[in-house]
Amino acid sequence: MIENLMAAFSNVFSFTSITVIFLGVLVGIIIGALPGLTTTMGVALLFPLTFNLEGITGILMLLGIYCGAGYGGSISSILLNTPGNPGAVVTGLDGYPMAQKGEADRALAISTYSSGVGGMFSALVLIFLAPLLATVALQFGPPEFFALAIFGLSIITSISGKSILKGLIGGAIGLFIATIGLDSITGMTRFTFDTMYLMGGVSFIPILIGLFAFSQVLMTVEEGVGENVEKIKVKIQRVLPTKEDIKKTNYPIFQGSLIGSIIGAIPGTGGDIAAFLSYNQTKKSSKEPEKFGKGAPEGIAAPEAANNSVTGGAMVPLLTLGIPGDTVTAIILGALMVQGLQPGPLLFTEHPDQIYGIYTGFILANIFMIILGFLFIRPFTKVLNIPKPILTPIILVLCVVGSFSMNNDIIDVYIMVAAGFIGYFLLKLDFPISPIIIALVLGPMLESNFRRSLVMSQGDYSIFMMRPISAGLILLTVLTLFGPILWNRFKKRESHA
Amino acid sequence: MKKLASTIVFIFMATLLIGCSSDSSATKENKFPEKDITLIVPKAPGGGTDLTARGLAEYAKKQIDQNIVVVNKPSGNGVTGMVEGSKAKKDGYTLTMTTVELAMLPHMNRSPVDYKDFSPIVAPIADPASIMVPADAPYNTLEEFLEHAKKNPGKLKVGNSGVGTIFHLASVAVEDKTGVKFTHVPYNEGSAPAVAALVGGHLDAVSVAPGIAKAQIDAGKIKVLAIMSDEKLPLFPEVPTFKELGYDITIRAWAALNAPADTPDEIMDSLNEIFSKTSKDPEFKKFLEKQGIQPVEIEGEELKNMIEEDHNYYGELLKDMKL
Repeated sequence: MIENLMAAFSNVFSFTSITVIFLGVLVGIIIGALPGLTTTMGVALLFPLTFNLEGITGILMLLGIYCGAGYGGSISSILLNTPGNPGAVVTGLDGYPMAQKGEADRALAISTYSSGVGGMFSALVLIFLAPLLATVALQFGPPEFFALAIFGLSIITSISGKSILKGLIGGAIGLFIATIGLDSITGMTRFTFDTMYLMGGVSFIPILIGLFAFSQVLMTVEEGVGENVEKIKVKIQRVLPTKEDIKKTNYPIFQGSLIGSIIGAIPGTGGDIAAFLSYNQTKKSSKEPEKFGKGAPEGIAAPEAANNSVTGGAMVPLLTLGIPGDTVTAIILGALMVQGLQPGPLLFTEHPDQIYGIYTGFILANIFMIILGFLFIRPFTKVLNIPKPILTPIILVLCVVGSFSMNNDIIDVYIMVAAGFIGYFLLKLDFPISPIIIALVLGPMLESNFRRSLVMSQGDYSIFMMRPISAGLILLTVLTLFGPILWNRFKKRESHA
Repeated sequence: MKKLASTIVFIFMATLLIGCSSDSSATKENKFPEKDITLIVPKAPGGGTDLTARGLAEYAKKQIDQNIVVVNKPSGNGVTGMVEGSKAKKDGYTLTMTTVELAMLPHMNRSPVDYKDFSPIVAPIADPASIMVPADAPYNTLEEFLEHAKKNPGKLKVGNSGVGTIFHLASVAVEDKTGVKFTHVPYNEGSAPAVAALVGGHLDAVSVAPGIAKAQIDAGKIKVLAIMSDEKLPLFPEVPTFKELGYDITIRAWAALNAPADTPDEIMDSLNEIFSKTSKDPEFKKFLEKQGIQPVEIEGEELKNMIEEDHNYYGELLKDMKL
């Protein structure tokens, strides 16, 4: 053990290793912050570089990107209300209002701190609980994934703002868009109007960019025609989170890290779902739920901790079973195999020094992420000081480039513009936009697992209630949705009596 | 202030525009290639096809001085990328990594282009489908498995990588040739989740390529009963082929590097030389092997025949499936 640790340290604490981890985290944060650049793209692009790096050094670089990108998404979400990745959609719900109040530095500090703690937490889970968690994760079959998606969708009720009805309409719109393309079980075409593009479904990123960023651009243009708009004065007061904020966010971060580590370990899920669930649970268990959506620190900490703890969780099935949970870990698996390291139970007995090296590098990546995050708060916050007439065209260009780069397809840009105009009218009509995105993310998971379960049970619906995890999750959903209503009724009746 | 602002915006936009334009002033020289080659991958980054293409691009650098730039165009299930690749200039500077879907989608009315729109160069991978079951399953050979399936028609849950994909065709081909009946469970997210479901005990078998499950096979969690290639795989030397067991089934998920059809011969010759050498490069082969992919080097007439054969066979299979 000690020997292996020493070997691992001498591997990781070399000049090359430290430099590539640092660069990986830096690249990751930038990729994460720019909507349209995904973690998968970044990791796939740098994957060939790992051939030339010896041992696990290249893998540590990819891990750095993975860590950094999860955090980076929150930066643009907080500052510009333009989520860099789907998970950051919920971070923006409280982060953006807080930044608008002139406390962008505070919001970024909370997000950096909770991302770092979440990442570290998941590293510890990975080190000490990996085999146990892996067996639980494998219990997830189609019915469980369906129940998880339903549970995730229940967040719509807590982020709909003033009108739950409008939130539900948004959710229905998102679910509808998710049905476009090929039917996942029969292969029939749905709403494709015989176009090749629509057969692959509508790309998700252009819609995200359009609804959030392009619609904002339109709003700004409308507000600012011919006049100088008043801008938010940002004074940077602090870079580190205050004691009060840390105390307030302790529990949400713990809960979020736990949710993130578990969700991350389940193959086929990711940071977005973890962030939704964590936000939902934190709001539901909060004593002051009315403060959420207006800049509550817990609302930033919970999704960010969850989003980042997914990274450690996702390494659990990868290292212990050789099963990648998402495309990023699939590439990391490839990189490991190029180096002659075959993940699975044998890896732990045959190459313990490499495993410890990966653990150490993973923790180091999280440390770099925190350091870089705090260093960046000053320059990033200045973005808000840029006058709108300059910032808006830049965002516009990023919108176009971001949606094009996803598939290198101009149609995605048209989709982005269309989504932008729809988003503009939705904002005018006071519709919350996040439910659309959440339904769009969870829709395919919901549908294909629902139908896959029924294929497996040959049409018997009891499959969802006969399995403990799926039944538990469905019951939990029903409780969180109807529990408060029934409780209130019950209390009222009691006071009447 | 306003003036400064508009200047900054102007410079920013101008830089971006310059970045978008491509260099057209390549100097005249006889050696091909004299500028960067674009390689269209009609799949998302990170998958097997993408990683193979990126590996090929990386190791081809040994043969040429120029770069090969990989561009992913996965929209419309990859059809848009293949259409664009087929319509590219016939100068050898735009190549396409077409996949086996090129031989399938035209029969489903989902692709306006087929193999006739391309000139094949080399196929570095042709991953055969297989039948894999959990290690603790009661059957140890394909015969025992099929017998079990015959006794329980429609009961065995066989996972594949999505409806209408090559590995779905694989399990349909098994039904077709052996007369058994499975319940097909499509995992449209790909092969990896199907393998995870097999390890988790949610499926009875999967019909995907064995390479993706190499870790689980080595760890003794999954056993491969038979593979659908013409010859045994060096990666799994003990596993018999369907042909050896008396079933004429060959299903392989190939990816082939293509130039547009009717590219001039002298350019094709240079391309063939560059990529034939690259696909024979031991380092490139090692790179594929380590990821559980059995490297092959199918080129020339052999490649043309393979693609045409598959095109015709899948046409027949898909007609019966009525997708």
